Amino acid sequence: MRHTKRAVTAALLTSAALALTGCAAGDSGSGGGDAASCEPAGEDVTLTFTSWIPGIEDAVAIWNEANADIQVEVQTGPSGNAGTYQNFFNQLEAGNAPDLGQIEYDALPNFRVQDGLEDLAACEDVVAAQDQFLDWTWGQVTLGTEDEVYGVPQDQGPMALFYRSDLFEQAGIEVPTTWEEYREAAVTIREQGGYITNFSQTDINQFAGFVWQAGGQWFANDGDAWTVELTSDESMTVADYWQDLIENDLVATYPAWTDEWNNAYNSGEVWSWNSAVWGANSIASGAPDTAGDWSVALAPQWESGDSAAGNWGGSSIAVFKGTDHLYEAAKFALWLNTSEEALTSLNQTAAIYPATEAGLELPTLTEGVEFYGGQPIYDVFAEAAAQVSPDFVWGPTMTQTYADVSDGFKAAASGSSTLGEALEKGQASTIDALEAQSIPVAE
Amino acid sequence: MTAPITTASGTRSAARGGGSGTEVRRRRRVQHPWSIVAFVAPFAALFVLFYLVPIGVAIWQSLLVVEREGTFGEAREVFGGLQQYVLVFQNEAFWTSVGRVLLFGIVQVPVMLGLALLFALLLDSPLIRGKKFFRLAFFAPYAVPGVIAAIMWGFLYSPNLSPFEALTSRVDLLSADFVLWAIANVVTWVFVGYNMLIIYSTLLAIPQEIYEAARIDGAGQARIAWSIKIPLVRPALVLTAVLSIIGTLQLLAEPQTFRSFSSAVTSTYTPNMTIYATSSIPNVSLAAAFSVVLALATFVLSFAFLRFTRRAGADS
Repeated sequence: MRHTKRAVTAALLTSAALALTGCAAGDSGSGGGDAASCEPAGEDVTLTFTSWIPGIEDAVAIWNEANADIQVEVQTGPSGNAGTYQNFFNQLEAGNAPDLGQIEYDALPNFRVQDGLEDLAACEDVVAAQDQFLDWTWGQVTLGTEDEVYGVPQDQGPMALFYRSDLFEQAGIEVPTTWEEYREAAVTIREQGGYITNFSQTDINQFAGFVWQAGGQWFANDGDAWTVELTSDESMTVADYWQDLIENDLVATYPAWTDEWNNAYNSGEVWSWNSAVWGANSIASGAPDTAGDWSVALAPQWESGDSAAGNWGGSSIAVFKGTDHLYEAAKFALWLNTSEEALTSLNQTAAIYPATEAGLELPTLTEGVEFYGGQPIYDVFAEAAAQVSPDFVWGPTMTQTYADVSDGFKAAASGSSTLGEALEKGQASTIDALEAQSIPVAE
Repeated sequence: MTAPITTASGTRSAARGGGSGTEVRRRRRVQHPWSIVAFVAPFAALFVLFYLVPIGVAIWQSLLVVEREGTFGEAREVFGGLQQYVLVFQNEAFWTSVGRVLLFGIVQVPVMLGLALLFALLLDSPLIRGKKFFRLAFFAPYAVPGVIAAIMWGFLYSPNLSPFEALTSRVDLLSADFVLWAIANVVTWVFVGYNMLIIYSTLLAIPQEIYEAARIDGAGQARIAWSIKIPLVRPALVLTAVLSIIGTLQLLAEPQTFRSFSSAVTSTYTPNMTIYATSSIPNVSLAAAFSVVLALATFVLSFAFLRFTRRAGADS
């Protein structure tokens, strides 16, 4: 018996140690402070760059071919919230972050608040490039400031309505132009045994896109303090709208991005999806049996005659604190996101939808798309992109906000709570998370 | 993993300890200090580097708080005493998740160990054929990584895609009412074979003479199993129980995987998921405080269980 005890003690120590090692963090913050100047190094430079865009190596190879003095080593990993952001935070903590990294717009404030980003406003070329980008994409990287730039916009996700034109036609339903008509269509479709769409419990950034379109805000930052307004009027209007659809069983609630969800689209059970431009590929790969049956229309509006679009996704290339080569890094980031050769390559390999005005006129973005019955769908998205409000601000702990709101949305989808309550809880927990890190919150 | 080995060597040295006193005294004089250092150093260095230092850093990290000025002010980490621990004890979701895994453990651990004991006894019984096959078959699920097992079972539970759709479309095994037990089933499936093997190896170490004596006394197989085998594998059962309690409190991979296909699994479903979510905010100090509290809770619970079983053993 005594030996067992000793053995168990050893086992206990070992596993407790394992539990602790799993969470031990690195050294304290890297300090920062001294703003780097944007001067050429005057010698050969090698930059490191981490991204998750499939096939980005091709674009980087084009750059490396032409720029012997600035070589870029690219490393790919899982998408941001799936692990790469966590890696970035750890690398910043350890002082060995790459020079450049892929960061979605909604995560930029989080990296900024952790003091992880270089201000690219020191680089004249970056400031001069502002006019090439859509206003609202530029607004996403200035984080609401006048003269600071924390990334070069790469792509965007203007939202529109993907719908099964064949099924809508058979059922004699006009394409809804307002959310009210969308609900009426939902009733008709439900009577026929289908669902108009699937409400995702986990894509909180899709929901944010709806709020964005409704002219709402989730966060504001006046420099002294953050305002958290997940429960703003517009936000609650959107929540009540979808809550009503969920309660009346007018939308499906499959967990998004699962095989079950793909199956619901592939089998024709679900008839439409309010998604971003990149969703075009998701449908094509998730519901291959429905090829040729889909079309794209501008998103339904809250008021008839309005023309507003939301945005879902989109990312920037940021330069991390601690780089020795701000000038070269900014130069590469600009080239990657503005030059026709890079944008063409990114569009071909990963269907990246550029954030620049000129990028939207790439030859591949004006052609008809076979999966959508030959419709030139990108014309619709170009129109939507011009309708996205430039004022939407992301909070500094979006990973946490998404997780907490998603927990609430899941409860709403299973009928034990409501979307409105989820936003209220998300509001409270976000304020807690900010205060826990001494990030000032306005009352 | 090291536990059974330690038990074995512990037994051996105890047996030797029964030898003459002079021999013990002679051994105490260290003859080759440097060779001992050379043999121990690699272990000691790795132990310090990968266990002690990280534990120390985690404890230190849990005592820090962040200070900053303005919305994007530079963050400074300063000593904050036990402030993070106050947040830990105020965190309702964390304690709900602790309660959840305790409920999980109270049900799942006895079921799993009961099955493991049953399988081990069956393998040890002379009445069963094809022992090698069954030993491997029972153990095989342990070779499947937890995440893969969770994905596989997730498919089997799926209301629309499951091969057992007739059942799963009627009873949603991924709903709030059932998902904890659906996860318990996955964990049991993976770990029964592992625990069975520990118990079975203890059974193999029981001297045959005891069985012979029992048979002469007229005991049948069932009686031998109940009155001889089970009491003799008690230490192994205690060991597997403690390991299972630890494993239960640290549940992460299976529920984290289930999160993507069940509406009922939240981001704070188990204590470790809370820690993971907190560290990706990133709020490392709070995550470290959670970890320290969870480790302490694990210690307390495991030692309480040991004490309880020892007293129960002394009484009988």
